[in-house]
Amino acid sequence: MIFEKIILIPVDRVGVLIGKSGKIKAKIEKICSVSLSIDGQTGETVIKGVGDVENIMPFKAEEIVMAIGRGFSAENALRLVQEETSLHIMDLRQFVGRSSAQIERIKSRIIGEGGRVRKNIEDLSGAKVSVYGRTVAIIGDGTQLKSAVNAITSISSGSTHGKVYNDLQESRRRQKLERLQLWEGGNILE
Amino acid sequence: MLSVQEAKEKWGIAHIFSSFNNTIVHITDVSGAETVAISSGGRHVNADRYESSPYAAMKSTAAVVEAAHDKGFTGLHIRVRAVGGVGSRVPGPGAQAAIRALARGGFKIGRIDDVTPIPHDTTRKKGGKRGRRV
Repeated sequence: MIFEKIILIPVDRVGVLIGKSGKIKAKIEKICSVSLSIDGQTGETVIKGVGDVENIMPFKAEEIVMAIGRGFSAENALRLVQEETSLHIMDLRQFVGRSSAQIERIKSRIIGEGGRVRKNIEDLSGAKVSVYGRTVAIIGDGTQLKSAVNAITSISSGSTHGKVYNDLQESRRRQKLERLQLWEGGNILE
Repeated sequence: MLSVQEAKEKWGIAHIFSSFNNTIVHITDVSGAETVAISSGGRHVNADRYESSPYAAMKSTAAVVEAAHDKGFTGLHIRVRAVGGVGSRVPGPGAQAAIRALARGGFKIGRIDDVTPIPHDTTRKKGGKRGRRV
């Protein structure tokens, strides 16, 4: 059984990946049965598969390392261990091009005053959002991801915050309705 | 003695294509040209949004594993592919479940590779100049 992959993470996130006296690193290694070797100078992380094949989760380990590299706390990144959650990374340059002033503007629209907008998106969609450098990273399951990605896309391409909140609430209502229809035989509308 | 053992071993390649919308498991011989068995998430669940779920990946892998056993395969190399290109470079939620189901299916597992196509430059992302209008 051989698996090997190199991932680059920013140098200032290396500390989070390793954790206090190596705690986070050890936790990832144990859960995913991989071995991580981290270069503190360059942020180069090598993921190697060890242990037997039934327990190995090399791609989950990769996702967790990338999530921490994209600015998530270790606690939020370890939500990825659940099978149906996954990580989505959006590059903000696709909305405004390379101008760093424009990227700062979009970032501040996504985060909001004191993190208010980001918190609202997280609460309404159920996903976790992290804005770091030129990227926005989102952790959540299928439907959560979809609504959070839609919200961030429309905020970045110029929609007002109010419209985005309305859309999020609408999709939330729809999901609830679907759930009720599934469990109660479809006669909730009567 | 060695030749007998060699004859007993038969390796193949399991290509797992895992996106956010579906999971396709495709077993071929070592050359990659000859299909042994293929199945996708959509064959095992009804709703579109469950096609990429770990459950659907498990079911489709189980179907493929059975066919590969019948044709006498004993070991598999695994090649996992995400969408790549301008799309997502992280395998979807089904990849993990598919690998586990292959291991539990009683095959020897050789290499596990990530073969996501990564461009050195990039083609333009779909949606046009004004972006996707939601």
